[in-house]
Amino acid sequence: MFVARSALFATDRKKTERLMQRLNFLIYKDFLLLIRDKAGLCMMFLMPMLLVVIMTYLQDSTFNVLHETRIPLLLLNQDEDSLGLAIERQIEASGIFSVTKETAGEAELVRAVSQGKSMIGIVIPENATNQIRKNVKRYVIGAFNGTAIASSGDSVQINIYIDPTAKSSFRNTLMSTLREYAVRIESDFLFKEITAEVDKLSPMPIADIQLSKNQVVFNEQYAMTDKSKTIPNSTQHNVPAWSLFAIFFITISLAGNIIKEREEGSFTRLLTTSCPYYLYLLSKTFVYMAVCLLQFAAIFLMGIYLFPLLGLPSLTVGTQYHLLLLMGICSALSAIGYGIAIGKIATSHQQASIFASISTVIMAAIGGIWIPVFAMPRPMQLLSAASPLNWGLEGFYDLLIRDGGFLDILPECIAAVAFAAACVYIAILYHQKKRVDL
Amino acid sequence: MQPAAIEIKDLSKTYKGNTFPAVSHFSLIISQGEILGLLGPNGAGKTTLIHILCGLRSFKEGEVNICGYSLQHQLREIKSLIGVVPQDIALYPALTAYENLKVFGGIMGLKGAELKNRIDELLVFFRLEQSKHRRIEHFSGGMKRRINLIAGLLHRPKILFLDEPTVGVDVQSKTLILENLKEINREGSTLVYTSHYMEEAESLCTQVAFIDEGKLICLGTPEELIKNEAGGACSSLEALYLQLTGKKLRD
Repeated sequence: MFVARSALFATDRKKTERLMQRLNFLIYKDFLLLIRDKAGLCMMFLMPMLLVVIMTYLQDSTFNVLHETRIPLLLLNQDEDSLGLAIERQIEASGIFSVTKETAGEAELVRAVSQGKSMIGIVIPENATNQIRKNVKRYVIGAFNGTAIASSGDSVQINIYIDPTAKSSFRNTLMSTLREYAVRIESDFLFKEITAEVDKLSPMPIADIQLSKNQVVFNEQYAMTDKSKTIPNSTQHNVPAWSLFAIFFITISLAGNIIKEREEGSFTRLLTTSCPYYLYLLSKTFVYMAVCLLQFAAIFLMGIYLFPLLGLPSLTVGTQYHLLLLMGICSALSAIGYGIAIGKIATSHQQASIFASISTVIMAAIGGIWIPVFAMPRPMQLLSAASPLNWGLEGFYDLLIRDGGFLDILPECIAAVAFAAACVYIAILYHQKKRVDL
Repeated sequence: MQPAAIEIKDLSKTYKGNTFPAVSHFSLIISQGEILGLLGPNGAGKTTLIHILCGLRSFKEGEVNICGYSLQHQLREIKSLIGVVPQDIALYPALTAYENLKVFGGIMGLKGAELKNRIDELLVFFRLEQSKHRRIEHFSGGMKRRINLIAGLLHRPKILFLDEPTVGVDVQSKTLILENLKEINREGSTLVYTSHYMEEAESLCTQVAFIDEGKLICLGTPEELIKNEAGGACSSLEALYLQLTGKKLRD
């Protein structure tokens, strides 16, 4: 009995050693093929790093544009009285706009904005101040007489023209900023005019009442747990997002590598040896896993050390390195599995590269890489839950921004690994089907 | 009589979507130590038969035993006993000759000094020792063919399948390949070989099998076939080939 069991163990050990040896040679081969492909290496390392820098820089600039860059504004003030001057003063004092006064008229202002010479144009109509004064007087007298006057619809209309090339998100931000100033100017002006009218009618003057302008103060801050010290910024958002996007682009290289081996005939030779197909896939997984993790490391290190030199916020990775590694491995597995399935099913290099690149862009789009998932329409939000890039992104956000732990990223890790397993299973089924059917 | 290296019994294979079988009720016994030439026009079923024997294609009808192992049930055991030299150059162009051989030898189970010595021995045997550190993509057609052959020989296979191993090479390379194949056969390997070169087959093979439309037409030594087939009217294997398979083009 003991002898039989020892013999069995010895056979198993020998078998494992043989498999390990084959795997080592396959890894050696895949590693050599990878490092000999200089263009592929460049695509896998330099391009993603460049992409992350550019996208973070762009997003950071857009984020700061209202605070750091002055937006060109054309102002046609036809009122030249208190309201017009108040608006002019407030806009100039805001520090957001670079104001140029237009004198040639509204048509000229519209033309200039439409031609992109200015991002925004504001036209304050003639007699705007007088019109408001008249309205205020009517309301105040009516109030003192006890006869409330309904809104007569003769309000002052200030026309705002926006460059038609401005994106809707930028236009919304701009309009929201302008509205904020308009409300402030309107309330200041109305308060002053009402006070003046009341003073004329009332024996007890009220002009000395000093009302604080900020009766309601909004204290805006990111919702973070006490232990979290990470301040969300464009780097924290963009580095994981675009790293994932870049990592999924290894599918092109991986699928291409599989197809090339098939076309060159070397895969056929491998099939004639006693090397199991799963070892062939395992070797690819190891080599491309190393590539993905190096990509992650390179991009994250760039976020930590290079970004501050470029004037961008530095990436804060916290202390949960093991969880970051786990999330990286799971995301890489989903990309590798996807690449293996494409490489097995696609019939040509061209077909694989087109399909891999377009499908990665689609998965990135629905996965929230470009637009946050919450800002998407409901059907797209449902779809995004099926994108491996979304799982990776949510996992990294859990770790880098929300200061989450293992249990927070566990669902995303399980989803990514299940996706990888499903893709590899499809590849193996397809491989077997090919052998039987053809 | 030598024991059988390969026994094929009533083998049939029809590709999906085709109405005609690529191999039809094919039976053949190849003895150990033979050099069997599988000859036939394009589309006759030679490559399909070789692919089935190498385990690259499955089959549902018939039975094949290689060195006593069932092809359908003991494929892994069979794969360690056979060597394959495919018709196309099955190598990694970006790797050097030595790296290619190291990878394939390692996958076939060789390692360490044994692997290195075997590679060096075969490189010398095929006169490629000077080029071993050059990448395959820079090799001439004849050199690629020789490395392609070496890759199938590394693990000293008992049976070597060669699918048109001399196609597209110059006379010098062809002569060297054929001489070396005879030497390998003398060392004990059984060779199963396909070719369109009748003279080559006549000089190399100990047995020749003519195949057409997936069926075995005739089998014997080249001399026997020339003497006995077609009423002894043919003076060469090529003439007999044309007599048996006709002059109609096969595409």
